[in-house]
Amino acid sequence: MIGVLRYAFRRLGFYAIAAWGAITLNFFLPRMMPGDPASTLFGRFEGRMEPEALERLQDLLGYGDGSIFTQYVVYLKSLFQGELGTSIAYFPEPVFNVIRSGMAWTLLLAGTAVVIAFLLGSLLGALAAWNRGGKLDNWAPASFALLGAFPYFWMAMLASYVFAFQLEWFPIRHAYGANVEPGWTWSFFESVITHLFLPALTMVIASLAGWMLMMRSTMIQVLGEKSIRYARARGISERRVFLQYAVRNAILPSLTSFGMALGFVVSGALLTEIIFSYPGEGYLLIQAVQTQDYPLLQGLFLAITLSVLAANFFVDILTAVFDPRTR
Amino acid sequence: MGPVLAALLGTGCVESSELAPPGTLVVSQEQAASWTRNFNPLLPSGTARWAASACIYEPLLIFNTVTQEWVPRLAERFEWVEEGVRLAFKIREGVRWSDGTPFGVEDVLFTFSLIRDVNMLDGGNIWSFIESIEQRDDGWIEVKFQRPYVPGLAQVAHQLIVPKHVFEQVESPETFSNPNPVGTGPFTEILKFNQQVWDLGRNPYYWQAGKPAVEALRFPAFPDNDQANIALIRGEVDWAGNFVPAIDRIYVDRNPEHHHYWFPLISSTIFLYANTEREGLEQTLVRKALSHAIERARVTRVGMYDYTQAASPTGLSFGHKKWIHTELEDSSDWMTYRPEHAVELLEQAGLVQTEADGWVLPSGKAFELEITVPAGWSDWVRSSQVMVQGFRDIGLDVRLVTRDFGAWLHAVQHGEFDLAMGWSQSGVTPYEFFKGLMSTESVQPIGEMSGSNWHRFGSSDADALLTQFEATSDPEDQAAIMDELQGLFVQHAPAIPLFPGPAWGAFNSERFTGFPSEDNPYAVLSPNRPPESLLVLTELEPR
Repeated sequence: MIGVLRYAFRRLGFYAIAAWGAITLNFFLPRMMPGDPASTLFGRFEGRMEPEALERLQDLLGYGDGSIFTQYVVYLKSLFQGELGTSIAYFPEPVFNVIRSGMAWTLLLAGTAVVIAFLLGSLLGALAAWNRGGKLDNWAPASFALLGAFPYFWMAMLASYVFAFQLEWFPIRHAYGANVEPGWTWSFFESVITHLFLPALTMVIASLAGWMLMMRSTMIQVLGEKSIRYARARGISERRVFLQYAVRNAILPSLTSFGMALGFVVSGALLTEIIFSYPGEGYLLIQAVQTQDYPLLQGLFLAITLSVLAANFFVDILTAVFDPRTR
Repeated sequence: MGPVLAALLGTGCVESSELAPPGTLVVSQEQAASWTRNFNPLLPSGTARWAASACIYEPLLIFNTVTQEWVPRLAERFEWVEEGVRLAFKIREGVRWSDGTPFGVEDVLFTFSLIRDVNMLDGGNIWSFIESIEQRDDGWIEVKFQRPYVPGLAQVAHQLIVPKHVFEQVESPETFSNPNPVGTGPFTEILKFNQQVWDLGRNPYYWQAGKPAVEALRFPAFPDNDQANIALIRGEVDWAGNFVPAIDRIYVDRNPEHHHYWFPLISSTIFLYANTEREGLEQTLVRKALSHAIERARVTRVGMYDYTQAASPTGLSFGHKKWIHTELEDSSDWMTYRPEHAVELLEQAGLVQTEADGWVLPSGKAFELEITVPAGWSDWVRSSQVMVQGFRDIGLDVRLVTRDFGAWLHAVQHGEFDLAMGWSQSGVTPYEFFKGLMSTESVQPIGEMSGSNWHRFGSSDADALLTQFEATSDPEDQAAIMDELQGLFVQHAPAIPLFPGPAWGAFNSERFTGFPSEDNPYAVLSPNRPPESLLVLTELEPR
């Protein structure tokens, strides 16, 4: 346990530097793009606004004053105070509130989909490798790979068109019904689940093959190792060999990818959210890019970066626990 | 698996649970993935919800584009006390704010002084031309102008009036999101608000007795056009202002009795701007040659689903139909598709067509052009593709370049382009339109930002006419000046008109009646032109 802790501490230093690098990039990248947010906002009025009003808008949004270095210092300072600035696209809402509004739905949708895809995919992969040449091994990897190879937006739109638009088995948009009041009630919960099902399903289908193939190939490798033969020779039950010896070792590379995927959950599922009108972070991100909403972009990237780093850190620890060699 | 699962989860009736209750009008105007609760009508539009300027707050007067008349709202009538310099409004009596407080002259005075003190909120830039605003003792207010400026009537009359007793409590009105609005409009009460949908109920104190007949408005969040159209097609939306491709087939045919649309060509004219600072394009002959190489009928068919038609040679949109100089329109032919004539004009301008380099400028340089359009604006991109083809047919080397909206806007505003599609200025009269196209005042050097006049064309003759127009409210004088401006426009071809912009509007009469249409054109159907939407919302009735 001490070993794990010491290792965790060492990694923490690395993550701190990575976070600083990301925060700095996060500041400079959007400023390298042509145009400025006030002009873009101005453009949305299609010339109905006088040029003088644009200057007022620029002042209000805090653009154009101070050198880039001063802006950077101000940015760092306010970041430490948890102050993310005011969104431009959703002016005058603070960035924090804008991000928070979609966060719960993003975590629910993308989180559910990633966890289900990872667990189901890894299990199927492990089983396929365990019964190599069996029925599952023969049809599953190929057919899931085929499904996963369709462009995601095409599959999601087809699912939305067939199951939501034509057959009306599922709601066509949103995270819950328009006539349902959000709250801890059964009808709200039911509405959330029915609205979640189809978008989450398309995401699981799209990513299942990846998890399955990854697990299958490492599992095959692990099964060829001497330790497995040794375990079997000792008469350990097949079930235990499968779980304790094979899966436990084979899951390690997948776990790293899972950490990454989990971290990126925060960035939302852009296409899914748009096709199913699901209120989450992904759509905010594209809107922030389109309107050059730097504060919102920075806030979102910060959230994504920090969660990817946090998820990786978590996985590092988890791997260290599973695999003493990494310490 | 689906039906079983749906039955298990109790969603056998997805559709009915999504429909709005009777009497609630579902409006689709803004597109958003999630709503933010902002009802400050003084903030730049696009930041506050549409309803703030469409039905919660009201202006003094509303200009009805269809009937070309001023409709009284918070002012009962207006008059020029001294033409172009002193404008008076009779403020309506008996109006109450939605919290019961009486509305009065002091609210109007407060609003104008607020936008003077907090410059950012003066969206119409009113204080750039008015001097003062005062109360007379007979319920009238009088606005004094700094100089004769008749077109300023529109900005002053359309200023949305906010309640003094609410806004004077607000510390920084420029960042105030006004979550619980108090207005004089027909719909003011937020019945519910969450990020996916919000409902707006009637003003209990609305001054027009018995109106509105609609009980509430509902606004579901649609992240993009496709989602908005799906809802429209399924009959979940009653009134929509978004673009619908092939609307006859995908919308009307589904329910011809109730599904209707009306796209009058009253939005501003869409232009092909030619940067007059670029070699070659400074010549009127070359710009006219480009115009002759454009097959507008094909542009509107391929690019715009035939929703519009070739623009008038005077450049004016049909929203300014009564201003169009018809003789000039009939006698000018610079908009017709005549590729052979385009070639003649280019030769007249001193360009030479060579085997190796195509068209060559008098200076010896090859004449190569780019058309810049915003990426993803598929109607404009398709229109430009048709134009590029036409230009190539006469041997011109023209390429289509798409850029991100921000980058595109930056390029056109700073004059860093050859050719670009773009909108033009709109207004109650064509004053703003011609000012943006031809006034020297609106010309900025290359590299500096310009809100209009991207093509950098200025004419001192136009300046003189515009100044004359600013000083007269006499319809005949105004018409005569506009005729001359149109003459200048046709003569110089500062920019190349393509087609008048349609005002998108569709409705479903299954649950509500009273929408304006081509047969009943009492106002514009499109909800995209607040405050004109006020004229529609008070006329609608549930079936």
